Amino acid sequence: MKRTVAEINQRIKDGDVVVMTAEEVIPYVQSEGVERAAKEVDVVTTGTFGAMCSSGAFLNFGHSEPPIRMQRVTLNDVPAYAGIAAVDAYIGATELKQGDHSEYGGAHVIEDLIAGKPVRLKATSNGTDCYPRKDIDTYVSLNSMNQAYLFNPRNAYQNYAAGTNSSERTLFTYMGKLLPSYGNVTYSSAGQLSPLLNDPTMRTIGIGTRIFLGGATGYVAWEGTQFRTNVETSFGVPMGAARNLATIGDMRDMSPDFVRALYLHGYGTTLALGIGIPIPILDEDMMKAVSVSDEHLFAPVVDYSVQSRNRRPIKQVSYAELRSGRIELFGKEVRTSSLSSYLKARQIAEVLSERIENGEFTLTEPVAPLPQDRSQGTLEVRSKEDAI
Amino acid sequence: MAKKKFMLGFSPELVNEAIVYRLVKDYDLKINILRAEVKELGGRLLMEVDGKASNIKDAAKYLNECKVDVQELANYVEKNEERCTHCGVCISICPVEALTMERPTWMVRYDPEKCIACGMCIDACPPGAMKFRI
Ligand code: SF4
Ligand code: SF4
Repeated sequence: MKRTVAEINQRIKDGDVVVMTAEEVIPYVQSEGVERAAKEVDVVTTGTFGAMCSSGAFLNFGHSEPPIRMQRVTLNDVPAYAGIAAVDAYIGATELKQGDHSEYGGAHVIEDLIAGKPVRLKATSNGTDCYPRKDIDTYVSLNSMNQAYLFNPRNAYQNYAAGTNSSERTLFTYMGKLLPSYGNVTYSSAGQLSPLLNDPTMRTIGIGTRIFLGGATGYVAWEGTQFRTNVETSFGVPMGAARNLATIGDMRDMSPDFVRALYLHGYGTTLALGIGIPIPILDEDMMKAVSVSDEHLFAPVVDYSVQSRNRRPIKQVSYAELRSGRIELFGKEVRTSSLSSYLKARQIAEVLSERIENGEFTLTEPVAPLPQDRSQGTLEVRSKEDAI
Repeated sequence: MAKKKFMLGFSPELVNEAIVYRLVKDYDLKINILRAEVKELGGRLLMEVDGKASNIKDAAKYLNECKVDVQELANYVEKNEERCTHCGVCISICPVEALTMERPTWMVRYDPEKCIACGMCIDACPPGAMKFRI
């Protein structure tokens, strides 16, 4: 059985495309077999909703009278990067509001804008002959800006280590609150619903792939930062952080239901983002890949009290175990928590299915593939000569 | 029989009173102390009381007479359903399983009856959905 993206799009147009979510397809393949399922189903939709720190927005505010070349910009007192053209700025999710102990950051500015709220813009400049104005204090919103799009350098990690804590004190990490003496385990993946776990070698996902991003239609822009392929696999699927995507999409079409600011106590702010990717069932291999279930997807458990980049995994656990609410560590039952929302991941896969069935969303072939062979380097304190 | 949770506030001179003993002995209440703090300005005691409704009422009256500040803790901690993303971060944090993952809906349910107002979930909840009332 072979099927092309063009054929799938024709079926979408004709209104007879068959779509299932990556969760629904599991029992279907179990009862019908891969061959039959591949024949019947054209597209399988995936979804994830989790904290994605490497996210942010490019904004263009429009020109004031007289014009200003903004050099220092804040949005609701959160600094944005303005070292680009006059009235362009980039606001990153983890940037914190100025002042002590703020629980408000760039992610909140992004959520507020998407929710349609006005945001206070303050900018200063040294002034130039062509841009004489030296400061401005005003309000902007999604309606008032010329462009406002998320451009996220790293989203939708293929897989991620689960965290625990062997130390005597509670740790506040980007993996959440980790209770002392292996008091709990936190993990962050939609497992069997997760986009890149359903196409582990990225056969169908590449540059230009159309995706669901925060409720809007977005695109894969590039390989994500720290993209790597040399990760140990089990059943052909990476068992740790491997591939990920740089994504882009218009904030105007996004919904606060799928873009949510988070504050991780003791760590800072980050953005929870909903991403969904449709997987075209090109052949039986693809159907086999998308029918993977939580029993066959694994994550390493690492100890976050080890303050080093080389944390050795304590053990590998399946997402079925993690999702059961308890896993066994050193002979003791430990409760587990997810940082990403399985409920929202499921909603995203369902919404994407509906959009495809209704002909509102068609599939794309990658404009260019993502790297097939990439490793990840480290940062050393080195001399100028050694850096080359 | 009734089960209720109370937060008792004491002034420093009351810290030495055998209040809990009286509650058990005179009002026949089963008492489960959930949290206790003693500071310079007095103390606070969070307890669950189990007993006859009329006895609980009389006990509260006795405490008031002793100048103990008595507050019933019904819905002391609130979950904002709009903010909650149903991630489940809180479920391994809550010591009494007042927050649980409902299956197969994968929605996180909060049972205020079980909550002992320990506050553990409040700084753990990433979107800030769990908050103390007041
Ligand atoms: S941690 Fe907060 S957002 Fe997550 S399920 Fe619990 S209450 Fe909801
Ligand atoms: S305050 Fe404590 S007992 Fe109440 S829900 Fe939160 S963690 Fe559970």
